[in-house]
Order: sequence, then C-alpha cells, then structure tokens
Amino acid sequence: MNPFRVALAVARKDIRSEWRTREMVPALAQFIVLALLIGNFGFHIDARNAPAIAPGILWLALVFAGLVAFGRTFAAEREQASLEAMLMTPASPVAIFAGKAIAASLLLVICEAVLLPALTLFFGTPFTGDVVAAVLLATVGMAALGVMFAAIVARVRARELLLPLLTLPLWIPFIVAGGQAVQSAMGLPGSYDQAIGLLIDFDILFVVLTSLAARFVLEE
Amino acid sequence: MNRYERWAAAAAALMLVAGAAIFLYAPTDYLQGPVQRIFYLHVSSAIAAYGCFAVVLVGGIIYLRTESVIADRFARAGALVGVVFTTVTLVMGMLWAKPIWGSFWTWDARLTSTLVLWIIYAGYLLVRRLSDPGRQAARLAAVVGIFGFIDVPVVHFSVTWWRTQHPGPIIVNDALPAQMLTTFFLTMACTLVLAAVMVWVRYRIETLTDERQHIAEAVPVVAAREPEPVP
Repeated sequence: MNPFRVALAVARKDIRSEWRTREMVPALAQFIVLALLIGNFGFHIDARNAPAIAPGILWLALVFAGLVAFGRTFAAEREQASLEAMLMTPASPVAIFAGKAIAASLLLVICEAVLLPALTLFFGTPFTGDVVAAVLLATVGMAALGVMFAAIVARVRARELLLPLLTLPLWIPFIVAGGQAVQSAMGLPGSYDQAIGLLIDFDILFVVLTSLAARFVLEE
Repeated sequence: MNRYERWAAAAAALMLVAGAAIFLYAPTDYLQGPVQRIFYLHVSSAIAAYGCFAVVLVGGIIYLRTESVIADRFARAGALVGVVFTTVTLVMGMLWAKPIWGSFWTWDARLTSTLVLWIIYAGYLLVRRLSDPGRQAARLAAVVGIFGFIDVPVVHFSVTWWRTQHPGPIIVNDALPAQMLTTFFLTMACTLVLAAVMVWVRYRIETLTDERQHIAEAVPVVAAREPEPVP
C-alpha cells in the first residue's frame, strides 16, 4: 500500500467526519474568541502596549486551543475502537499517524484562521504574511507532537489531565521561536529570520522523531 | 541490616564527609561569602540528575528494541531519582539566587530548561502512575522519556537568545582555586554514589512491585482433570 495514499485517506476520513458532525470547529472558534476576551480583561490594553501583549495572547490562545483539539483527535477512534481496525490493515502505522497529524494540523489552521483576524480586529495588531508564516510553521511541529501525545494518552486513565502536562513542555521550543518571530513581525526587537530558521529546524527535528516513534505509540 | 540498608548507610556517610569538606575544608568565597558553599551540592546534584535521565533514555531505547523488563525498571528508577535530584538543584539554586541575584527566579536559559526538565520527568512519572502497568505503559513511557531527553537541549538552545545570568561552566575553565576544586570533585563523587545507590534501591522496589503485581494478576492455571472413564 502506498503510504502517502494511506495518510491522505486517513486525513480525509477525519476531515469528512468533522465536516459531517461539525463538532470541533465551532467549539474551537468560540474558545478562541473567549480567550481573546479574557486577554482583554486580564491585561490593560491600549494602542501603545497592544503590540507587546498581543503576541502573548496569540500563543496562549493557540496553545490551549491546540490542546483541546488534539485531546479529541483519538476520541472517535477510542469510542468506536476503530484504531485497532486500522492497525490490522497492512497500512503502516507511520502512514496512519501522518494522516491523523495532517487532519489535526488542518484543524489548528482553521483555529488560526479565526485567531489571527480576530487579533487584528480586537487589538489592532498588523495582520501580515510574516505573522501567518510564523504561526503556520509552528503548527507543523506542534501538530506532530500533539498527535503523538494524544495517541499516548488515549491509552491512559485521566487523559485530559495528562495531555497538557506531556505536550506543553515539548511545545516550548515552538513557542520560544514562534513567539520571537511574531514579536518581531509586530515591530518588537528581535531577529525574524533567525526565529523562522529555528522554527524550520524544530519542524524537521520533531516531524522525523515523531514519525520514528509512531510505530511504538500506535501499535498494541 | 540487609545489603541495601548497608549501601544506603554508606552513601549517607559519604554525604556527611562531603558536607564536612564543604563547610570545614573549602575556603569561603571572597565576594559571595558563605552562601557560595551552595555551589558544591547544587552543581553535583544537577550532574547526578543528568546521569539519572541518561539512565531513563538508555533504558527506554533498550526497552523499545528488546522489551527487556530490566531496562524498563531501571528507566523507572532513574526517572524518580532524577526528579528528586532536579528538585534539589532547583531549590538550592533558588536559595543561592536570592542573595546574589536579588530574586529567586529569572527566566534564564539554564533555569528555564532545568524547570522544563523537571516538568517532563514529573510527567513521565505521572504516565507511569496513570497507566495500567504492563507492556503498553512501558512502551509509552519509553517514548516520553526519550522525547524528554531530546527536548531539554532544544529548549536550552532556543532560549539562549535571552540574556543569560547563570554563570557558565567554571570547572573546565580552571577558574576555581585548588581547595574548592577538590571539594567540588569530592562532593560530586559522593553525590553520584548516592544517586547510584538510590537508583539501585529503587530498582529493587520496582522489581518487588512487579512481582507482587504479577502474583496478584496471574490466575493459576489448573489443568482440567481427565474425566474418569465410565465403567
């Protein structure tokens, strides 16, 4: 079986099931708007300090929306025990993992499509290609790690409790580099190119590592 | 006294020797005063923690390759002892930072990555606690342990843009007077012995736990008796 076609098929299945139920996207969009609302009341924001605070609110909202999204990645599979069925097919676990990761990162991209315009709307920060590029690059690695830990905690009691504890420390490199990139894209000091370079490095590193680990995480 | 207790007593005695060297033999720092004596145990326990997490890494890799129960038990033991030593490092570092830097904490590369290290391996211990013991838990935890070990240099490397306040390596730079250096190596050796003994004792506890679990779970298989031939 061609692993690329398997991955795309798994991703298509996840996206189609989301399209038919429309469970996650409205909930996540609402979640993000609520996070911005909390940011507004938690900080004293005016036109002067908005560029300094908005990147922080962006990453906080994105990270927690990501945790909610990835926590549900294997929910349907668990409820219907369909992961076991998928693993019984000759498809390679890495391809199945890649498919789940593609679908999950698409979900995160949809969150970002709500988050970035809303940030510009509410806080007046620039909505530029630089910001979008930084956020999208961070999404790749965050999705790879998030789906891997979602697969791990799917087999554990108290999974809602454990997913953030395991995932957040490993997301820190992305938040450090992505935070730096967004800050400099919004006019704060710091090198944008260096941060983007680091994001690409982290993406490659963690996509390769999670692909290597996928076999051990998914198989019974 | 069994041999575990004897070794534990020996390790504790060695730590007392190290303590004597720290407070009686090593000279007082000219600038920082007595608080600099924290240095010896602070750095030693950090090195011991790295050693313990290396045990988790190697144990995890061996487990994924061979499914050796021994490797997994060593990984479990290493994670617990490593978290203990990381805690010691963090707490002693904070106590040292308050008088010298003026605050308990600063978001410096070294401090941040040590805190992340602590969180990752505390998470490892939680995975072990929350998953049902067996092959699967061992395999998942091995993956967590390996990723944790990789993440720490990555975090450290990515945070180094920020101005760093934590002093760099001074041992290899030959910046210490001979008496301080001797005390440091003595403390480090004693701390490493203590860590090794703690891992070993913990390994024994994990073995006993596994065996008890095994006894509790295993259902004795009694072969059905052949039916008596009906005359």
